[in-house]
Amino acid sequence: MAAACGSDEEALIVYSGRSEDLIGPLLEEFTATTGTPVAARYGQSADLALLIQQEGERSPADVFISQSPGAVGLLSGEGSLKQLSEDTTSLVGEPYRNGSGYWVGLSGRVRVLVYNSELVPTGELPASVFDLVDDRYRGRVALAPANGSFQDFVTGMREIHGDEATQDWLDGMERNDSPTYANNSSIVQAVGRGEVDMGLVNHYYNLRALNEDPSLSSVNHFFGDVGSLVIITAGAVPASSDRSEQAEELLRYLLSRQAQVFLADGTFEYPLALGDAGPAGLPSLAALDATTYDFETLSGGLLKTKEMIDASGLEEP
Amino acid sequence: MRAVSKSPRTAAWQAKATGALPKTAGALVGLLFLSPLAYLAIEATRAGSLSSIAEAQAIRPLLRSLLLATAVATITVLVGTALAWLATRSDIPGRRILAVAAALPLAIPSFVAAAALRAALGVGGLIPWLPRPSGFWGALVVLVVVTYPYVYLPVAAALVTTPPDVEDAARLLGDTPYRMVRSVIVPQIRPATVSGALIVFLYVLSDFGAVSLMRYDTLTRQIYSSRLADTDTALALGLLLGGLALAAATVERRLSRSRAPYNSARKPRSYQLGRTRWPVFAVVASFLGTVIAAPAVVFLVWWLRSSLAAGSTYPSLAESLAALVTPGLNTVVAACVAGLSAAVLLLPAAYLAAGRESRVGFFASTAIASAFAVPGLVLALAVVYWVVQAPAVVASLYQTFPLLILVYVLHFGVQSHRTSVAAIAGLPRKYREAARMLGAGRFRRFATVDVPLIGPGVLAGGGLVLLSVAKELPATLLLAPTGFDTLATRVWNAAEGGFLGDVGVTSLGLLLLSGTLTWVLVLRPMQRNISPAD
Repeated sequence: MAAACGSDEEALIVYSGRSEDLIGPLLEEFTATTGTPVAARYGQSADLALLIQQEGERSPADVFISQSPGAVGLLSGEGSLKQLSEDTTSLVGEPYRNGSGYWVGLSGRVRVLVYNSELVPTGELPASVFDLVDDRYRGRVALAPANGSFQDFVTGMREIHGDEATQDWLDGMERNDSPTYANNSSIVQAVGRGEVDMGLVNHYYNLRALNEDPSLSSVNHFFGDVGSLVIITAGAVPASSDRSEQAEELLRYLLSRQAQVFLADGTFEYPLALGDAGPAGLPSLAALDATTYDFETLSGGLLKTKEMIDASGLEEP
Repeated sequence: MRAVSKSPRTAAWQAKATGALPKTAGALVGLLFLSPLAYLAIEATRAGSLSSIAEAQAIRPLLRSLLLATAVATITVLVGTALAWLATRSDIPGRRILAVAAALPLAIPSFVAAAALRAALGVGGLIPWLPRPSGFWGALVVLVVVTYPYVYLPVAAALVTTPPDVEDAARLLGDTPYRMVRSVIVPQIRPATVSGALIVFLYVLSDFGAVSLMRYDTLTRQIYSSRLADTDTALALGLLLGGLALAAATVERRLSRSRAPYNSARKPRSYQLGRTRWPVFAVVASFLGTVIAAPAVVFLVWWLRSSLAAGSTYPSLAESLAALVTPGLNTVVAACVAGLSAAVLLLPAAYLAAGRESRVGFFASTAIASAFAVPGLVLALAVVYWVVQAPAVVASLYQTFPLLILVYVLHFGVQSHRTSVAAIAGLPRKYREAARMLGAGRFRRFATVDVPLIGPGVLAGGGLVLLSVAKELPATLLLAPTGFDTLATRVWNAAEGGFLGDVGVTSLGLLLLSGTLTWVLVLRPMQRNISPAD
């Protein structure tokens, strides 16, 4: 691979929790611009975090791109990440980076309610995610409780509204017979074909589904509260990397105007280094509840979140 | 048969057949295959997490895992055996096509099969009046479809190597068809059937794709949903799965204890279905049509819908296919090398295990089974654990092709091992003894007597590994050389990004490729036995 790039240099190794379609072109562009060859390993963010943890000091990874704050939080909590320089972290606003500089946000996904416009009149759409426990939504709102994004969202809700309110909401969703699915994609498909009226997902799945099949009647609805939490895709440098300068150069490239525009146009994500404007046709970041949270400071972290989801009974099929 | 297998003569023959070399090889193989469980035990001890299994309320997921695995194994025994008999011994129309088609569903990753089934049935699906499957029944259907070939292929191999004489004798003596099946056919295929059932059982224990999409909460689903939040519990549950596998392998050894009469390179007996010929054909054709054509149609619909949609930015047909060439080649090479390696490397251990009296053989074959029940992710983490602290020579193999092959052999070795054991168990003693009396050396006896007789069984076993590797995902993602794409990782990448069209076209490619490989490498050599060669 190095030879193919016309350089004897060894490739910078990226472990990416974002799939290749969504970030591969940017990595190629980085190589073309800087001459630094890059080789990427794609996988689930959680699996890659566990891999980096297990590899320890011998990890070949120079950059870790995590779709889940939980996965990057596991590593920063253990001191397995390098502190990034101010040059890199300052490219995004305060809410989109780790307080101690262990990771920086690259792009954002927004939690939304996807609904089938033939089954749900707009007058029925809730203003707050907390409304979904009402009787009129009984059995109509799909969730993916085992999915990382949902768990990250619940963690965000705990951070903002506290454990008690969050547990009440989870219990209420369970009492309301909310149907459960494996992940975001299956909910968007189910809503698109009219199997279920609505579902809580990340915003871009529906935009991609519509791109493939514009006849679908699934529509995204944004909440005015934590229901539309911004979940950040984070970039970090594992402590074991001995090429942290080049690794940070790659992170800065991913935050450059060119790369951020690609993320917004090509993948429908929110750029984080271009001010508050969202992708075309979507609400601006300022209008959304953008909050980052450090899992190590939130008591019990992800484990506590999972215990709360388990306690609600949502996970029992 | 039982009495024969326990005669002193057999014991003496087995004792002679197992020298020091296979014993050492068997012990090493056993230790290697136990290494994932050893890692899990070390982690559980370090974290003191064994008690957390009780807190995690593992009992219900454990029972669900057991229920699902037992049900799937039972049904696949019936389906796989019936299809194997029809494909090798009957005059069912289109027998050769049926023989290939019946092996195909093995090529579909379970998460893709589950997604396709859920897309096909129910509200808004291709067949809206049928209920959309989920829970236990949904998982059961998907897992039966993708695993019955684990029974079908070894049983077919057993059926083409059993000689016609016993069956002829039974017929001449006027046995009823029922008695004939019970006293002649069942003993012939029993070791292959039971080992196939074990493989299915272990597959279901380790499966995540089907149970996750169908939302049936088994141990493996628990492992995945707690892996990040509570890694210690996840690993402790992995240890529990490994323990289950050890128990299942012990039970299997008891159940398969009847010896097949013997193998033969002579053409086996073929049966005429008579008046039932076409009705049976109709049943089989509609079953295979459903399990193969249905996913294929769903894949095609996904692909066409996205590539024909107005204003779609989807790549053209040529581009889509061109993008499959490198991952396709990678899949072929990895799957073939792993299948062949498993068949050859585990052959000594198979000889040991076929000798009932060998403790080392028992140890090795039980250990080999345990590594298949552990989910791919956990197995990969175990390999990382051992490799990163190994001497530099080994550590330098990290994330290279040879290590990836080793991981595949570790994970799927049981498929080849068990199938080889069943084949070796059917070796007729009289040929080897005759060869020995004629002064043939050990290697010559192996080459001239064993190889032709156990060949189809060993090949079928390698073929199972090959097909499993072609769709393997979690270990490939973590441990393949960086940038090494397979068709399965491409399917996953597309599914992850929500690009259904790509999932469709790549899954079709995987199906075609696996079908071709099965035909060329496994079924064609096997079918030489059923073509009119003598």
